[in-house]
Amino acid sequence: MVEIEELKRLFPRAEIAEIPYEERGYHLSIAVEKGDIPDVADTFAKKGCYLFDLFCVDYLDFLELVYFFNNHSAPYRIKVTTKLDPEQPTAPSISRIFTIAHWYEREIHEFFGVFFEGHPNLTYLFLHEGIDFYPLRKKQVKVSEEDKKRLMPKPPGEEEDTFFINLGPQHPSTHGVLRVILKMDGEYILWAEPVLGYLHRMHEKMAENRTYQQFLPNPGRMDYMGALNFNLAHVKAVEKLCGIEVPERAEYVRTITCELNRIGSHLLWLGAFLADLGGLTPFLYVFDDREQVLDILEAVTGSRLTYSYFRFGGLYNDVDGEFIEKTKRFIERLRGRFDMYNRLITGNVIFINRVKGVGIMDEALIRRYGSSGPVIRSTGLPYDIRKKEPYAAYRDIDFEIPTGVNGDNMDRYMIRLKEMEISLNIIEEAINRLPDGPYRAEKLPKKLKPPKGDLLSTVESPRGELGVYIVSDETEIPYRMRWRVPSYSNLMTFPELARGCLIADAIAILGSYDIVVPEIDR
Amino acid sequence: MTFGLACCAIEMMATAMARFDIDRFGAGIFRATPRQSDLMIVAGTVTKKMAPTVVTLYEQMPSPKWVIALGNCAISGGPFVFEGQYNLVEGVDLLIPVDVYVPGCPPRPEGLLEGLMKIEEKITGKRRFPVPDKRW
Repeated sequence: MVEIEELKRLFPRAEIAEIPYEERGYHLSIAVEKGDIPDVADTFAKKGCYLFDLFCVDYLDFLELVYFFNNHSAPYRIKVTTKLDPEQPTAPSISRIFTIAHWYEREIHEFFGVFFEGHPNLTYLFLHEGIDFYPLRKKQVKVSEEDKKRLMPKPPGEEEDTFFINLGPQHPSTHGVLRVILKMDGEYILWAEPVLGYLHRMHEKMAENRTYQQFLPNPGRMDYMGALNFNLAHVKAVEKLCGIEVPERAEYVRTITCELNRIGSHLLWLGAFLADLGGLTPFLYVFDDREQVLDILEAVTGSRLTYSYFRFGGLYNDVDGEFIEKTKRFIERLRGRFDMYNRLITGNVIFINRVKGVGIMDEALIRRYGSSGPVIRSTGLPYDIRKKEPYAAYRDIDFEIPTGVNGDNMDRYMIRLKEMEISLNIIEEAINRLPDGPYRAEKLPKKLKPPKGDLLSTVESPRGELGVYIVSDETEIPYRMRWRVPSYSNLMTFPELARGCLIADAIAILGSYDIVVPEIDR
Repeated sequence: MTFGLACCAIEMMATAMARFDIDRFGAGIFRATPRQSDLMIVAGTVTKKMAPTVVTLYEQMPSPKWVIALGNCAISGGPFVFEGQYNLVEGVDLLIPVDVYVPGCPPRPEGLLEGLMKIEEKITGKRRFPVPDKRW
């Protein structure tokens, strides 16, 4: 547990302030000199925290690096900031302490031009040679010659008995356009490195170009599988920022639709995971079930996939009796199908042999990477935002969090299957309690001009912990909107898990993460 | 060819699966390699980083070959075009010739099926099924 007095003693030069969590979404803010960053990170690492997010905000006069730390037992979000000179931004790297920082720092380097001292590899991650400025800087800054040399990917050298394989960007089992470079020794993987950015659609840049309302359709396109959860994260953040009250009926409908969306996402994952392992039959069955979910959601949201159903202060339209009736029928139907799935997949000897004991994760690894979602619940950590920091109607509904024991692919499979059952329970409970009343807050301002300040809002998406960080400067347009996406930190554990694996097992591991690439690339 | 890039790829998968069943039209065999394909469905946003790969894949396909641009992103960049965008190819037809455009964000599976009919019409010169009711 982090104690303020202790922090004050350890870092006398730092400005430490307690923040009202209800308003801003985090508990503690610490402003330090950039030289202290490794010490601060080290302190939090020893206390069992993980690095939730690391990003940069350009305030023109200075660049601000923002580190978010949190722990898995009791949520206590700590924001650590440090100011950098915009002309020659440099900062010490913490990639030795938190491995995930390796990737975040690469991202900041190419988007803002911050040089991280002691970072082993600052080559392109999202961008490519054609872009000769730092995209997320507020004023256009050209990439310097020196930086350009640093950014160019180094060609890997061939050694005797080893060769390189490009997995992707066009590969059926990468679930989108992910590219992984694999260094092979025969059939075994010696080393792996993901290359991102093949679907970088500039969401964060777009957010700085349009109003809060105009950005509404975007989150659904970031993670098209859990579109409603992403939609909710955005809406929830802006509501908190502007102080908009949401009617209770809307909160319940949000919960119901989000859970339906989660089931749809998990169902698709189930099919895709099995297809990765070579079993194509389940794909046909899960799509049959998924179409039922889509029918229900289409009737209320008007779209099959990229929903944008929630509005600031409520919903786009109200649900009717037919929606309730259909959902109830779907719950009955899917409950009856689990037995079939178990007979079809869970008991299959080939399947068990392919997934059991492959891709084992432990808690130490998870802390270094800050992974989340079903991936970490497989190791036995009951960490779920819906429970730890409840939002919408989750605070009224009691549900259990399934956890695994071994942290292998089998556990991740079992957890997702169990989560679907639990989602059904949540939906049933929420429908029973669904209150009457308005579905949208009355008297909403036409133009949203939130007060100055920043805010963090988190949601449990089907893939894990999703965070939106907004900096507002009292205009209709967000000054900076940062999306912390769960797949990113989940995927980055892949190089470590894949080392020494057969290529077929590596595909199974990649499948078990349930990654959605547009969400990682943003 | 299974060439899923983004959101539209999920609808493409849905078209191939139980309800919409693309197999009815004898078009259901998605291949993972361009060497065995004659129709490329570009399902999703093409970024500048992805562009060389798209061109390579198209060139690897044996002739005769056709291309469907599925979804607004592949047609024109769709919702991701804005002033100051730096990473988007505004339409896949800037890279490779496109035969049929299927609009939508994402298009419904019926839309993709209709796109297939159009390709068939283009190849054979006649339409296999009656034109759907214009009112819709």
